[in-house]
Amino acid sequence: MTCDSAAEPAWRSYGTSRRATRAVRVRVSAALVAATVLAVLLVPPLVQLDQQAVDLSAKLLPPSWAHPFGTDDLGRDLLLRCVYGLRVSLLVGVVAALAATVLGTAVGVSAGVLGGWVDRGVMRVVDTVSSVPHLLLGIFIVAMFRPGVWPVAVSVALTHWLSTARIVRAEVLSLRSRPYIDAAVSGGASRWRVAVRHLLPAVLPQAALAAVLMVPHAMWHESALSFLGLGLPTHLASLGNLIQGARGSLLAGQWWPTLFPGLFIIVPTLAIAGLAGAWRERINPRRRSELML
Amino acid sequence: MLELHDITAGYDSRTPVVRNVTLTVAPGEAVGLLGPSGCGKSTLARVTALLHRPDSGTLLLDGEPVRRWRHRAPRAHRTVLGVVFQQPRLAADPRLRLTDLIAEPLRATGRRDEIPHSVGELAAAVGLTPDLLDRRPHEVSDGQLQRACLARALVLRPRWLICDEMTAMLDASTTAALVAAVENYRAASGAGLLAVGHDQLLLDRWCDRTLHWDDLAVGAKTKPDQPTR
Amino acid sequence: MTLTQERPVLSVRGLSVRFLMPGGRRIAAVTDAHFDVAAGECLALIGESGCGKSVLASALLGLLPANAQAAGEARLGELNLLAADERTLARTVRGRMVGLVPQSPAAHLTPVRTIRSQLEETVGALTDARERTAVRAAAEAAAERAAFPTDHLGLHPHELSGGLAQRAATALALVGDAPLLLADEPTTGLDRDLVDHTVDELRRHVDDGRRALLVITHDLAAAERIADRVAVMYAGRIIELTDAKRFFGTPGPRHPYSRGLLQALPDRAFTPVPGMPPELGDLPDGCAFAPRCDRVTDACAVRPPTIDGVACHQPHVPERLRA
Repeated sequence: MTCDSAAEPAWRSYGTSRRATRAVRVRVSAALVAATVLAVLLVPPLVQLDQQAVDLSAKLLPPSWAHPFGTDDLGRDLLLRCVYGLRVSLLVGVVAALAATVLGTAVGVSAGVLGGWVDRGVMRVVDTVSSVPHLLLGIFIVAMFRPGVWPVAVSVALTHWLSTARIVRAEVLSLRSRPYIDAAVSGGASRWRVAVRHLLPAVLPQAALAAVLMVPHAMWHESALSFLGLGLPTHLASLGNLIQGARGSLLAGQWWPTLFPGLFIIVPTLAIAGLAGAWRERINPRRRSELML
Repeated sequence: MLELHDITAGYDSRTPVVRNVTLTVAPGEAVGLLGPSGCGKSTLARVTALLHRPDSGTLLLDGEPVRRWRHRAPRAHRTVLGVVFQQPRLAADPRLRLTDLIAEPLRATGRRDEIPHSVGELAAAVGLTPDLLDRRPHEVSDGQLQRACLARALVLRPRWLICDEMTAMLDASTTAALVAAVENYRAASGAGLLAVGHDQLLLDRWCDRTLHWDDLAVGAKTKPDQPTR
Repeated sequence: MTLTQERPVLSVRGLSVRFLMPGGRRIAAVTDAHFDVAAGECLALIGESGCGKSVLASALLGLLPANAQAAGEARLGELNLLAADERTLARTVRGRMVGLVPQSPAAHLTPVRTIRSQLEETVGALTDARERTAVRAAAEAAAERAAFPTDHLGLHPHELSGGLAQRAATALALVGDAPLLLADEPTTGLDRDLVDHTVDELRRHVDDGRRALLVITHDLAAAERIADRVAVMYAGRIIELTDAKRFFGTPGPRHPYSRGLLQALPDRAFTPVPGMPPELGDLPDGCAFAPRCDRVTDACAVRPPTIDGVACHQPHVPERLRA
């Protein structure tokens, strides 16, 4: 038998092609998300153009070099309007998603940790709220306030914490029966310590993933409310407002005032979903088996 | 004394997996409990460790009856019992470094000042080298992780140790090393041991006496007045 | 060693597996493994957890994760398992040329389907049987071969005891009539009686002389019961490859690590090998066992060559050499 192969053996790798496609997907998604964030952060302070500037002589122009996305029925530049709209929609989306996640996680962890009647009570509330259509509930909440960014964010948050609460509670319940929680209990840990030190850190990646995925969802919801005329006031150009305002032009054959705001909703949605998918693979415990020792 | 009287326990009160089991461990004594997998001996170990409330029966801890289980059990009751589980992967919080894993019971009971001394001493006692203490569970082998779990069970210096299939997943050398660490601790502290397992050779070698699961259940049914010792 | 006239079923030459970790770290999980397994023979690969034995099994099945690299040869018939592409592995190797007896049968079986439907599906996938009655008969025949009671075929995995689940998994492994059976820790967590049973049944499938069996285990008692030959793995290398009877009986193992491993058994000295195995990412240049070895000399700073099946500079010499 040979025991010392002096030359480096010929190594053969595994699964490289699959990894390569995944890397491409992640890079494209990351680039799109970065572009979205940069656009909403940098364009308004850097570009000294008024998105509200009305120019009736230039109304409903199709896309051109001067107006890459065309103009709307008041002659406003649609590219600029879309960036501002995205800014408002994204703000509402992020605020609502964060609020919904914090609320959902708190409720889910408490229900899972306390168990018993607290759990049953909380989950009945969740079921009840879920049985009302989101949009209806959202409309109801918005209707109680004056139109603005905050009521819309609150409305979206209050209708979207339910799924996070369910996910987090299920995760807590499955973790609670793990021997490592038994070990903590046996080591004298209080209920609070088990919840904060062992359960919460374990569900946070899941909750954060849910939050990220909820950003586009919340944007869609905001757009739906605005489209119905119940969301943001019309002077705040959100993507939903833009599409709503362009309804008439679409019937007249002018496609650009609807298409571009629509794309501004869809592209970030897909990009965020792509990044979140890669993240999900990362936090998946099975990944640990990559080193099968 | 650690005394279990007529314990019935399970996850569904209609079909308990533990029926009328009576068992006593004297201070400093090592009792092996031998049974096939799935017979309910792990459930009995969880009852003894105050982690699972039995449907009926009494558990006396040094003569004092235990009335509450899990979080409701007084901390002094819980910490007098150290537990080691079968699968170290599941019994270790994946986010904690081994140092923190071992120190966790000290933190949970507000005895932080003992951490530097205790963790170092116990790591050496179970054969963990300092470089391993900085790692997280997925960066060490099953055997190394089980050593850390044993150290965690010993860190509060329990008077009773419950080892539920502690070595079922481990190779012969690690098994011998862990058993030696348990025995060293018991020799120094006088702690009693309930070792649950399915390997008769191992339990016979390790423990002062070995009880068979089937005898326990049958004995309790036919000879209720017979003392177990 | 058992001398077999025919070519071995599996012939492993210079098999190495390494993992590329973030930060450029390299973990040498398996290094330069050489062994053969012949038809009618059982080779047990034993070692501590984390010594690389499961990685070796995964390499043979082409189931290594994406950050792994393999080198060397593992010939099964005409095919080099390490060079085969995923398509070949999936269509002709797994199930057909290598039957896998899994570590935890409960996790290996689909929980929502009956044993019969899983067996029939496997029969349909691996054999030429297409007709319903033929498939059914083949499934029952496979169950019988694995001593799985045919009247239990309608049950779901959770309704089976540990022993029956193990037999069901073995039946699945036998369907394709593969020349090589690979059992990865088939007895972990089972009771002694069940271990003996499982091992005896696995042995029976080898004794007809048509199959080769490679058992990967840390259970020395199971290895003693089943194996014709034993390969001891330490820190990714096979450090001793020898006849099972001589290994477990007289004259006993020759490598100090193998001796230490046997002495750790509860029915022997019950004393552990001192220290812990080295990191596979940071192996010493010389003998990897030297820091734990009581026979260490200056020579051990150089990696020992494998002579006569033992990779050691100071092997124990049998007291009476039968020349």
